[in-house]
Amino acid sequence: MNLAVDARSLVKQFGSVRALDNLSFTVKPGEIYGLIGPNGAGKTTTLRTICTLILPSSGKLDVFGLDVVSQAAEVRKILSYLPEESGAYPNLTGYEYLEFMAKFNQKEGYDIKSMVNEAVELSGLGDRLRDKAKTYSKGMKRRLLIARALMTHPKLAVLDEPASGLDVLHAYRIREIIKQYVKKYNITVILSSHNMLEVEYLCNRVSLVNEGKIVIEGEPKELRAKYDSENLEEVFAKVVGYA
Amino acid sequence: MLKGFTTILLKELKELVRDPKILVPMIILPLIIFPVLSLVMGYAVNSAEEQMQKSNLLILNNDNGEWDQTFIDYLNQIMNIQVLNNISPQQVIDQNLLANYNSTQFMEIPAGFSQNMTRHLNGESNITTSINIYGVFQGGGIFSDLGSSGLVVYVNAFNRAIAPDIVLTTQSTIINDQVQEGVDPSTLSVLMMSQSLALPLTVMIMIIYSMQIAATSVAMEKEEKTLETLLTSPVDRFAILMGKVSSTVIVAGIAAVTSLIGYSFMMKSVTMGIPIAGDIDLVTLGLVPSTFGYIMLGISLFVTLLSALALAVVMSTFSENVRSAQALVGYIYPLIFIPSMALMYLDINSLPMAIKTVLYAIPFTHPIIASKAVIMGNYSIVAFGIIYVAIFTVIIMYFASKLFSTEKILTAKLMFKRGPKKKQKD
Repeated sequence: MNLAVDARSLVKQFGSVRALDNLSFTVKPGEIYGLIGPNGAGKTTTLRTICTLILPSSGKLDVFGLDVVSQAAEVRKILSYLPEESGAYPNLTGYEYLEFMAKFNQKEGYDIKSMVNEAVELSGLGDRLRDKAKTYSKGMKRRLLIARALMTHPKLAVLDEPASGLDVLHAYRIREIIKQYVKKYNITVILSSHNMLEVEYLCNRVSLVNEGKIVIEGEPKELRAKYDSENLEEVFAKVVGYA
Repeated sequence: MLKGFTTILLKELKELVRDPKILVPMIILPLIIFPVLSLVMGYAVNSAEEQMQKSNLLILNNDNGEWDQTFIDYLNQIMNIQVLNNISPQQVIDQNLLANYNSTQFMEIPAGFSQNMTRHLNGESNITTSINIYGVFQGGGIFSDLGSSGLVVYVNAFNRAIAPDIVLTTQSTIINDQVQEGVDPSTLSVLMMSQSLALPLTVMIMIIYSMQIAATSVAMEKEEKTLETLLTSPVDRFAILMGKVSSTVIVAGIAAVTSLIGYSFMMKSVTMGIPIAGDIDLVTLGLVPSTFGYIMLGISLFVTLLSALALAVVMSTFSENVRSAQALVGYIYPLIFIPSMALMYLDINSLPMAIKTVLYAIPFTHPIIASKAVIMGNYSIVAFGIIYVAIFTVIIMYFASKLFSTEKILTAKLMFKRGPKKKQKD
């Protein structure tokens, strides 16, 4: 069986800083996989490497059997990336932004329209999509971008802090949508988050990244049991030595 | 004192002074630009004065009386003169005597000069005499007209010594070896100022303004993190770069056309004020560009704007946000200011080879050189400029395409000081 993500001994060196240090993990198709870890641990670097934004210094990374270095253009056709704290084009309306992004994935007018309509529904922004993105709150922008990331039904969705900036209710709605989409369209998700509740609720498996390495990996239930903890937050604290 | 004012002021000052992107363009560069400009202006004034001192004044003496020699003796005390007897202004031009005597102007003492002087001094105060001054229109820098205005001053000083308003002056201009009687070189000075100032200033403002806009195109994407989304979309990365540059090309094209429309309108309105017979073609006189000249000038402006915009796009990839991108392109401004302002005052051909080479190497100099060259019909130098700037642009675009095809588009940053490197943000 093809793995959705197969990372082997990934190293990423930025000058004297080793952001990824022999990092290896796998994600199965249809799985929601979470990366957790302290700031600067290498989570975003891992996600950016999967998305072909940065090249690994050494090691091998395949996405659905495609090499992220030599087959980068092919990889980009099957994934969708949601960067942390990203925005939209301030002078485009939300609708225009969705249409602009849809055109890269669909060629026919009807398909573009149907893709955008789905994103309109997903975002829940209604008439506000006719307003310029610069008038949106942080939460509204996030909803627009999540809709953009999922409207293409990618084989792999790479979500960096998907619910960041969202209030409790909208965060809850987004998590429900992610779960639905994974089932309905057989999407694989790899996400990073500092919200342990979110990770525990969404992810089939999680790995704790620290100093560019995977320290522990497993199902949330397993990890709680292994570290005799009530939740992933406690597991996290115990592993990094804070508890 | 406002509570907390000093604390906020000190913090703001620390932030501003510690940011090299602000410190260098706002504080250090002006310290360099203005001394350089003062040197340029000083050089321009000195060379105009030296030229005036070195050159001879030709005096065409067509009067054989007693006062013509007095007037010649008076001038001889002030400047180098060469006297030619019984010769007309057109003969001077036809026999190329100006070049032979290293002169750019001459003065004619017409027949009857002494006779009228004597009559005036004998009580016929309504009788005056005249001196005809002829200057060659050169169309150089701002100070290139110093000579002819000086001669009028000397004649007035002669009047003060003899009798007020006894000698009047008429001024004519030689344009492309043709005498334009009664055309005062000072009326042409407006045209010269237009040529020397208007286009360099327009080019300077247009390039700076366009660069500021272009610099934000990539920086805005980085700041909003839309670039990351775009780079992970199924779109050719070269298409992203070309899309950005092409949009600026369209803006540059429109800017070049509107500038030329404005410039040709200004040249028309300025030349309308010149009292030259209506049937004389201003293009052949070398006062305004021909249609072909305007086209060449337009192409020169266009490729220069394109090079500036491409450079701004590349530079903005080295910044993390709009503010730092705009500050970063500020480093290019001296390369725009100095040639533009230098060529307002100087004729590039009169400069030493080293300075000339440096100016030719700067792409932003070429439309200014072209603006003067198309008037003189020197199209080869304009064509050279267009080819040079086009090659420069292609190199910049190649460099940009390399940046866009690698992770450097996201990770490239200009390092201003050495120190411990920050860890990659998670």
